[in-house]
Amino acid sequence: MKKSIILLVSAVVSAFAVTGCKDFLTKDPLLSQSTDITLSSYTGLNNATFGAYYYLASSGWYGQSWIIDAEMRSGNGKKTAFRNSNRCVQPYIWNYTEDGTSGMWSYCYVTVAQCNNVIDNLEGKAGGDVTEQDLNNLKAECLFLRAFSHFCNVLTYGQPYTYCKKSAPESLGVPYVYHTDPNGKPFRETVISNYENIVKDLLEAESIIDPDYVRKGTTDELATVNISTIQALLSRVYLYMGEWQKAADYATKVIDSKKYKMWTAEEYPKVWGAEKGSGEIIFEVYGNITNSAWANWEDMSYLTSPEGSGDPAAAKPLLDLYADDDVRLATYRTDEKEESNGILWTTKYPGKGLNTPDANNVVVLRLSEMYLNRAEALVNGAQIEGVTAWDDLNAITSKRNADAYTSVGTLDIQRERRKELAWEGHYIYDLARWGKAVERTAADYPLCSQNLNVPFPSNKWALPLPKSEREVNPNLEQNPL
Amino acid sequence: MSKKLFSLALGLLLTIGSAFAQTAAVSGTVVDENGDPIVSAAIQLKGSTVYTMTNSVGEFTISAPADGTLAISCLGFHSTEIPVNGRASISVTLTSDAEVLEDVIVVAYGTVRREANTGSVTSIKNEQLAEIPATSVDKMLSGKMAGVSITSGSGQPGSTSTIRVRGTSSINAGNEPLWVVDGIPVMNSDNRQMSNFGVGGGSSSTYLNPNDIESITVLKDAAAASVYGSRAANGVILVTTKSGKNGRAKFTARAKVGAQQLINDHNYRPLSGEELLSYLRVASVNAGYNPDDPTSQYYYPQTLLENGTTNWYKELTRVGLIQEYEINATGGTNKGSYYSSVSYHKNEGVFYGVDYQRFTARVNADMKLTNTLKTGTKINLSYSDSNSGQMGDLYYSNPAYAMFSILPWTPIRNEDGSYNMNIVENSKTNPRANADYDVNNDKEYRLQGSLFLEWKPIPQLTLKTNNQVEFDLTQSRQNRHEFTHQGTAADIEYINKDVRYTTSNTITYDDKYDEHSFRVLVGQEAMLDKWDLLGAYSPGVDPAIPYPTTGKGETDQVDFNIVEESLLSFFGVADYNYDNRYFFQASVRGDGSSLFGSQAKWGAFWSVSGSWNIANEKFMSSTRSWLSGLKIRASYGVNGNNNIAAYRAYGVYGAINYAGATGMVPSRPENPNLAWERNKTWDLGLDFSFFDDRLTGSGDIYYRKTSDMLLSKRVPYTTGFGSNFMNVGSMRNKGIEGQIEGVIIRNSDWFWSVGLNVAMNRSLVLDLGDSEFLSVADSRAGSNDSTPVRIVKGMRLYNYYTRDYYGVNPSTGDPLWYDKNGKLTGDVSKARYVYAGSPEAKATGGFNTTVSWKGLSLSAYFEFVAGNKVFVADQNIGYGSDMNNNNTVGVLNYWTKPGDTGVVPKPVAGAPSQSYRASTYNIQDGSYTRIKDITLSYSLPENALKAIRMKGIRIYVSALNPYTFHNVKNVMDPELGVLGYTMGASHPMTKSIVGGIEVTF
Repeated sequence: MKKSIILLVSAVVSAFAVTGCKDFLTKDPLLSQSTDITLSSYTGLNNATFGAYYYLASSGWYGQSWIIDAEMRSGNGKKTAFRNSNRCVQPYIWNYTEDGTSGMWSYCYVTVAQCNNVIDNLEGKAGGDVTEQDLNNLKAECLFLRAFSHFCNVLTYGQPYTYCKKSAPESLGVPYVYHTDPNGKPFRETVISNYENIVKDLLEAESIIDPDYVRKGTTDELATVNISTIQALLSRVYLYMGEWQKAADYATKVIDSKKYKMWTAEEYPKVWGAEKGSGEIIFEVYGNITNSAWANWEDMSYLTSPEGSGDPAAAKPLLDLYADDDVRLATYRTDEKEESNGILWTTKYPGKGLNTPDANNVVVLRLSEMYLNRAEALVNGAQIEGVTAWDDLNAITSKRNADAYTSVGTLDIQRERRKELAWEGHYIYDLARWGKAVERTAADYPLCSQNLNVPFPSNKWALPLPKSEREVNPNLEQNPL
Repeated sequence: MSKKLFSLALGLLLTIGSAFAQTAAVSGTVVDENGDPIVSAAIQLKGSTVYTMTNSVGEFTISAPADGTLAISCLGFHSTEIPVNGRASISVTLTSDAEVLEDVIVVAYGTVRREANTGSVTSIKNEQLAEIPATSVDKMLSGKMAGVSITSGSGQPGSTSTIRVRGTSSINAGNEPLWVVDGIPVMNSDNRQMSNFGVGGGSSSTYLNPNDIESITVLKDAAAASVYGSRAANGVILVTTKSGKNGRAKFTARAKVGAQQLINDHNYRPLSGEELLSYLRVASVNAGYNPDDPTSQYYYPQTLLENGTTNWYKELTRVGLIQEYEINATGGTNKGSYYSSVSYHKNEGVFYGVDYQRFTARVNADMKLTNTLKTGTKINLSYSDSNSGQMGDLYYSNPAYAMFSILPWTPIRNEDGSYNMNIVENSKTNPRANADYDVNNDKEYRLQGSLFLEWKPIPQLTLKTNNQVEFDLTQSRQNRHEFTHQGTAADIEYINKDVRYTTSNTITYDDKYDEHSFRVLVGQEAMLDKWDLLGAYSPGVDPAIPYPTTGKGETDQVDFNIVEESLLSFFGVADYNYDNRYFFQASVRGDGSSLFGSQAKWGAFWSVSGSWNIANEKFMSSTRSWLSGLKIRASYGVNGNNNIAAYRAYGVYGAINYAGATGMVPSRPENPNLAWERNKTWDLGLDFSFFDDRLTGSGDIYYRKTSDMLLSKRVPYTTGFGSNFMNVGSMRNKGIEGQIEGVIIRNSDWFWSVGLNVAMNRSLVLDLGDSEFLSVADSRAGSNDSTPVRIVKGMRLYNYYTRDYYGVNPSTGDPLWYDKNGKLTGDVSKARYVYAGSPEAKATGGFNTTVSWKGLSLSAYFEFVAGNKVFVADQNIGYGSDMNNNNTVGVLNYWTKPGDTGVVPKPVAGAPSQSYRASTYNIQDGSYTRIKDITLSYSLPENALKAIRMKGIRIYVSALNPYTFHNVKNVMDPELGVLGYTMGASHPMTKSIVGGIEVTF
């Protein structure tokens, strides 16, 4: 009896003792790190900077949509009844509404916030082994990613810069967010102002980065930013602005760095499924099976394979541009069982051979683009000593089993650019800045139930802002629909 | 139970103090109507303090004068008085008092006489559950309790249900009630990774053997539930399992066998080959193509039917077998008692590859250590093995989806008998092959073990500690066979481990002075829960050894998670009762939780209530002949909802892996003020009974306001996040509910009773922070459209919001919508959006009746849902948008000639009008009345039993969901979950019939 009472009392007392302490109610997450801690040290800031690359690889951005939407909108891609999982319909038929529009907006600002978190917390973190240059390198990476995010965003939701400059200087772009404010409801700026800010961030990045800086620890150094990455993007941005001389100057800096090497005709068909970048690649998005069991079904490799969902196939007007022995034709193939009656799909995303569905790196910037940028700038009046536009085009054609140019005009450059950079997400933005319409025939573009032809100029070139964003930020004016 | 102890203690005291007169020893036995001994019956010499109790075989000895009278009483039996008349041996038979037994109901931290209850509760006894052929208790409760709505989102065997007590009170915190089994709150999460049930909770009941349950009480209002504090907002379900009954060991064996099939009372089906071909040919012609031209994009020649057709619905479904076996034993002495059972249940699904098996074992043992000290343990073990087949939503391998979409001229097998794997229209997936080759399996082991120690140093004071360990181990495996996955095998393994420790300690003081009775309870509780998960994904495993050991290191992936949660509580309850006429109760509880922000860890919750038992008033004595009970109740209280995921208050960066290195990305903004949702509830109730309790009933009216609602509020992406989790918003539910039961005939041969319960609940959203509405995310929204359900300020909680459909243009057969000016348009992008009803029912309830004649009994339960809308977004209503798949009968009634009305749009290949877009066309009245279960049983009469020396034999046949009355088109069954819509639900609902036998010996 006595024993039992002691037992009972001690059980009750110990229960109180165990539960009485305050720590009992504090359960910190073990698998994540608080925002404050992350941003308080160089190590944390360095990890946060690297994390800012992460969303580039998501299927809503360079992991898939950025490329595929551009190809399907531009007429490089077509849908077929042979492989139709109802994917890629929206860009193909240009069916954008404020309820259903590009998701670029969210990827842009989530990445921008990551960059701003780092940029705004760098001050005073030098000391010990950490130098001001270390901090500047992080800042340069973040400035690049901030500029690049806004660049993709204004390309999506704004009219092309060249059109705005000429005919619509007040045309709206996107908010350029320099400091991420949890209560902020920013207004849209003009397209022209966006480009000025993009250039400003990129120039600052170029000026502060250590020219030899390369982020350590990754398996693919070309998935992160170095000085040439910044310069290559500057070349593209200036080209898109029609700033020909600057576009040519920056292309030259990259070409003359000798860091990158043109792929030969033998190499060209085989370089696309590589584990990491080499040769021409200046900047790429690294594809891998992430730490989730269900990834990659929507990524480039599975989507563009006729043995996968295979929704985007190559359209005839694009294929017709290649001469029969052009090696670039080898980046197309038909289905393995040859049941599709000769339909061709791009093989620029063949997969790394990891898995089904497979992962693939996605090229953002490469050397051929620099030659093409410079050639276009040169025919538009830029001057680089000792370089002609046809030299630049031939730097490419000589490596593609294609005929050499002896003189070039604008149309040659446009055609060569389309041929070389097809399925890399360029042509629709080239059409936009050239002010050219999308023209498609029903015969070449099956299942295209609307908007076969998209005239330029037209409201359609600036996609509607997501309604969901405007509902929580009434300061955002919608594009004319 | 405490009453019994009280009388025991009192009896001992009295015996010790008694003086002896001229007496002789009288011995005897006390038995019940069946001749079984009654243990612990009190025997008192009338007019004295001489007192004793019967022993474990019902025997007693007492000193009594030859002319004395013995008063014999026992809880649950009518008391009786017997003159000694000089006898030395007396045999007494007590008759059971069923009403006295029913008088006690289980409530929070104890029991209460129904008469003394001040809160709103509903309870149900085991007898009302036992025969129903359902796998778990929750499914059996459906339609049986006023204000308790139970909805299934899946008909898969072993699936869980969505339970709502008095409506839905929260948007982002959970809405599941708290389950308390034998006094301890238990786990409710469902860790089965491969089950595809889509509910993710409600598992508390799936591991219980329904026959082990003695009673279930649902605490509905604040007075009844508030002592559970931060977890009480959605009501509390108290489950009490059976305890041992004193007496010789009694065994009961049960066996059930039955069959199950899909509910499809309106014969919803895919099109036959002939129907589909003619439909597609019309669609081809309507789009300007020639279906007989081989070069046409839409070439559908008559020759497609030449090689015969396949009825995929028939090929992919079957009749599933149900089996259940159980044996239990119960018995006890005055020192201890036990109840133990083992059971096995197997339910084969109506789709191939789907089944569910469950073993349970339970031991409940109570032991009296001394006269003041009692201990007991309750242990429940369960093991379930679920094969879920491929029942995920909208997957090609899901037969519930594919049976409506694979073309009828596609054969299921090749000529050589092997499975046809070249089903182009179904992404080269043959669900019948998946069922044979692939594995989607969950094995769940759950242990619940509790130990209590109770000390009553004086009769008025009870100290009790009740401690429990709950352990759940769920092992899940998915194996993708190379045959069904284009030659690449893959294996996924998951182990979920969840351990929960709970200690519940109470001190109760219970006393009575004259007409004043009171009880004070103070208590403390603490809970610690640790859940972790380890998963491995191995693509490209060796098909001969399809486990991660043969995976390629570089592509293998690991999934890992740890979540810890703690809760610390202090609480008190005080009851006061004056003369069984006026009752008051107050409760208070403080809860601290690890789930909330550093500034908001603790919350206080309380309630007050009272009731007036009018029937016990003297002025009511004249009506007592017909009015046997009349009571009014009122309560008000505040309780909380802490049902949110852990770590929501922390702003965190999470680790990511990219390009072979680790980085950090922001995963959530910080919120140090994240706190409880609060519910404030008023309840007014009335309980009544007439004609010696032949007609009983109760009614309640309530108002419940939820404030500080946890909302994941959208914020501009320019802040770096799409949403943030905050305590904004409020809503309310108000309603009335009632139930009434009557015994119409009750005589020696005949018995006929009827019962009815009805509840009407109305929700209203008062505030959503700075949003006017929220969209309800649901993966089943499909690719065609965004989700059609919205939560809107100033409206009911759930509202359909979709395009305003007019109908078919009678002259062209194309669809027409209203545009924003109310004019008709054929351009779907110009269609206006309108609010078009709510999936919330205006009324829910059930009615039941039981008729019996001698040993033969027929009972039927009906369940009804009225005034709700459903959104029937059937996956294959395409009107030509999808020319490569089958369609359903819903499309056949299409426009064929000018002037046709009441039809669906004509099929046009490619559906340029986008007639398939979600619109008000999809919204229908979802009311239904379901025959929930019908049971016919026969119990062998006593004389027959005696001949074979059995205590009872009962045989029965029972049907679950045999028929449902409804007018919903294009669905198999109208039970479509809380949001009322489906895109080819994961597993449609089923009906079943079982026959069983129950033998007691």
